[in-house]
Amino acid sequence: MDKTSAFWVRSHCVGTTAVVYASDYLNKLTGEKIERECRRQLDCGCRALVIDFGDTKLVNSIGISILLGIIDVAEKCGAKIVFSEVNTQTVQLFDMLGLTRHVALAKDEREALLTLSDFETTPIVH
Amino acid sequence: MMNRGSSSEDFRRVLGRVAPPDFVGRAEELDRILAQAEPLNAGRGLLLLMEPSAGVSELLRQAYDRIFNERTDVIPIYFAFTRNETTAVSASIEFLNTFLQQYIAFRRDEPFVSHATLTLQDLLELAPPADHEWIEQLVESYTRLRFSNDDKALVRFCLGAPQRIPAGRGRPFIMLDGAQLAEYLNGVVLLGTEVLRVFGRGGFTFVLAGLRRQVLEAAHDAKCNFELLDLLRLKRLDENEARSLVEHVAQRQQVAISEAARDLLIQQFAGSPFFINIFLQAARERRVALDSYLDCERLYVDELFGGHLQRHFADLLEEISPRLDTRHLLIRLLWEAAAGEDQISSFEVWRKRLHLTAGELQEVLHRLHVQEFVNWDGTTVEAGAGPQAWKDYLKVRYRLDVLNESRALVVADALTDALKRAPHTMARHYKQIARASLRELVLRFNTQRVPAVLFDHAAFSRRYKGLEPDRVAAELETETDMFKLPQTVHLASCVAFNSDMRQISEDERCLVAHTFEDASYSDAQEVVWLVADIEAKLEVDTDVVRAWYERFESLASRLNFRRFQVWLIASEGFTEAANQYLARQKALGSSRQQLDLLAARVGETPRSPVQYGSAPNEFLMVVPMGEDNELIAASTAEQIAKRLTFRPEAINQIKTAVVEACINAFEHSFSPDQKIYQRFRVESDRLVVTISSRGIVPTNLNGANSRPDTTEAAEERRGWGLKLIRTLMDEVEFEKVDDGASLRMTKYLRDTSS
Repeated sequence: MDKTSAFWVRSHCVGTTAVVYASDYLNKLTGEKIERECRRQLDCGCRALVIDFGDTKLVNSIGISILLGIIDVAEKCGAKIVFSEVNTQTVQLFDMLGLTRHVALAKDEREALLTLSDFETTPIVH
Repeated sequence: MMNRGSSSEDFRRVLGRVAPPDFVGRAEELDRILAQAEPLNAGRGLLLLMEPSAGVSELLRQAYDRIFNERTDVIPIYFAFTRNETTAVSASIEFLNTFLQQYIAFRRDEPFVSHATLTLQDLLELAPPADHEWIEQLVESYTRLRFSNDDKALVRFCLGAPQRIPAGRGRPFIMLDGAQLAEYLNGVVLLGTEVLRVFGRGGFTFVLAGLRRQVLEAAHDAKCNFELLDLLRLKRLDENEARSLVEHVAQRQQVAISEAARDLLIQQFAGSPFFINIFLQAARERRVALDSYLDCERLYVDELFGGHLQRHFADLLEEISPRLDTRHLLIRLLWEAAAGEDQISSFEVWRKRLHLTAGELQEVLHRLHVQEFVNWDGTTVEAGAGPQAWKDYLKVRYRLDVLNESRALVVADALTDALKRAPHTMARHYKQIARASLRELVLRFNTQRVPAVLFDHAAFSRRYKGLEPDRVAAELETETDMFKLPQTVHLASCVAFNSDMRQISEDERCLVAHTFEDASYSDAQEVVWLVADIEAKLEVDTDVVRAWYERFESLASRLNFRRFQVWLIASEGFTEAANQYLARQKALGSSRQQLDLLAARVGETPRSPVQYGSAPNEFLMVVPMGEDNELIAASTAEQIAKRLTFRPEAINQIKTAVVEACINAFEHSFSPDQKIYQRFRVESDRLVVTISSRGIVPTNLNGANSRPDTTEAAEERRGWGLKLIRTLMDEVEFEKVDDGASLRMTKYLRDTSS
């Protein structure tokens, strides 16, 4: 089920891949929202996550530390994770803090889904 | 009702040493004293019970001036017992003289008469014709008694003089200051007892101000009619009042003082108006500006060795123990007991060490007890009490007089010790401010029903993590699983129950609350809440939670708490495993967010906001901490950087650095004013951004070299801010100031072609 309310993070599913959209500023609160949504999607059976940063203009270190937590959670569930449409400055920050060693980056959502397509198996609708 | 206005232009200062607008911090008490003068309270006495060094004289003088200016039928009389009077008789005669002088000043409406130097004969000549007869009779009676050798009769006559004012000439309102000094007068008459005997048995409307441990005891001894006595306890000034007092006094004394120095003084002197006043007076006399901690502590040490502070404590010691040899022994005993581990010893030990008879020692201990330098219950003596300045004074005297150490060494040590202590004093204060809400919150537990999820971090995280605060608040309203809070009847720090806890936690962060479920006072309903606020930036793990639980379990067992409830609080809550451990132990766990939500439901008293004061190429901005306000700072930085034609990439780097600096200030500082101060300085080839905050400086900041390695423990993840800043900006300079820190970040303009 898509959540479009202001209180929720925008997301949708493509097969067993959940696409979660980050907001314009990634900080503690918005990071926790993404984390919550990712956990929910994984609990619902998703096997892969795409976090799309197309709207994200600014990130802070607390937001990044939460992303690392999400990567840990995904790894524990055996789920793949791809970050898409990350702007150059944010990629630099991710590089500095070592995130890019643990996650694949894709130009956009489409490329992210393609990257993950090999991983996808049975479609689940939820 | 009397007219309470004091701001009219024709207000005359009579005894007050400061103008009414400059008298700050005791408005409530002043109103209470003025109320005592109203007809409703005629014939009643007010005992003003004060802590030593609380400062009451100016309060009474202000009350005097207000009543004098109101020109009603109330005639204000203010008399201060002073150390200059040596006998009860001389003090009583002085009282009579003061009474007549102030009476005539009021009747003539001539303030200067109140403080002129006048003999009884002068006063008789100045008396208004309508009063001449009774005053003349009074003076004649006095003259007869003066030479009668009946001291007691003379004392009673002098003290009772206000009763001789004929009906219709006004009602005297007597304010007596420094009642404790009356006890130290020589002679056969105990003036303190006589004062209370005359005034405390009805008929007079009066205020008697004195040390709290003494005045009540004296009132009992004098067999006062307590039905006609009211009590007013002079409390310590609150934060804002003390701040206002320092600023007013500094301005009056023309002493420049920084905010950091101001706040240090308040903490160092525990908000005592007396100490603050004499310290700022010393600053004026020595022409010292108080810009830094160093300025403050230099003056403080000078004062300890030979200024107002030294004289104050030396006088007190002399009163307590007039004999020099005993005084030296006393200094030694007091300091060694205070500095040692065992501060409690028996009366007999003290008697032997001071070489005094039991009677002499009782007198000394009584005086020490009254001044609150020791706690004496008749059997045991507990040393180590008293203000910090007293302890410092004792230490200095001990080293100089007992150990005969060189003065230069003692001075140097006193100064370095005071300087080292200053940041700790402030840090402790800031932490107390931050934790005060927990204490207040637990004290307000009174059978309210609150959502149970506020005590269950695991459930709270599942349901509410990542939701907007408004949404969380709204959804909590729909919770059906409610928890009924007990009623708190007593609350104290864990340290008060077990001093070993001091090594583990600060006073305000670990509490023991005696409560009753349903406010039903039976054994079955009695539950002791053991509460700890754990300092941690990330979720607290099982090891820490287990350690706290076991610590509390052991405390409960040792203190025979039959039922206890452990409640742990951690800023970011607890790990999953820690939450499971808490659930198994039936312990409660809350994050800071849950605590805030709980406080909102229980009805937290809003903390009064602390009031703080703000080049052509500089932009200054102050933003409150929190609420994503770092974005406002970042946006400002962006606008300024654009003017300097920084490349978009560099602008983004500056913005990120500003955001991180703001978060750093917010997360680390325990800031007293909860504000971030920003300065953007534009130069031809660079932008310099300075982010400052007041509060505690994290110890790791200066050299901060936290390595951003994702393989490291999660604890290190939250130390990335400074690393990011160093990478994103060209120069980063960290500056620790007395009371906080500044981070100066410079970004150079590069040739856009490069």
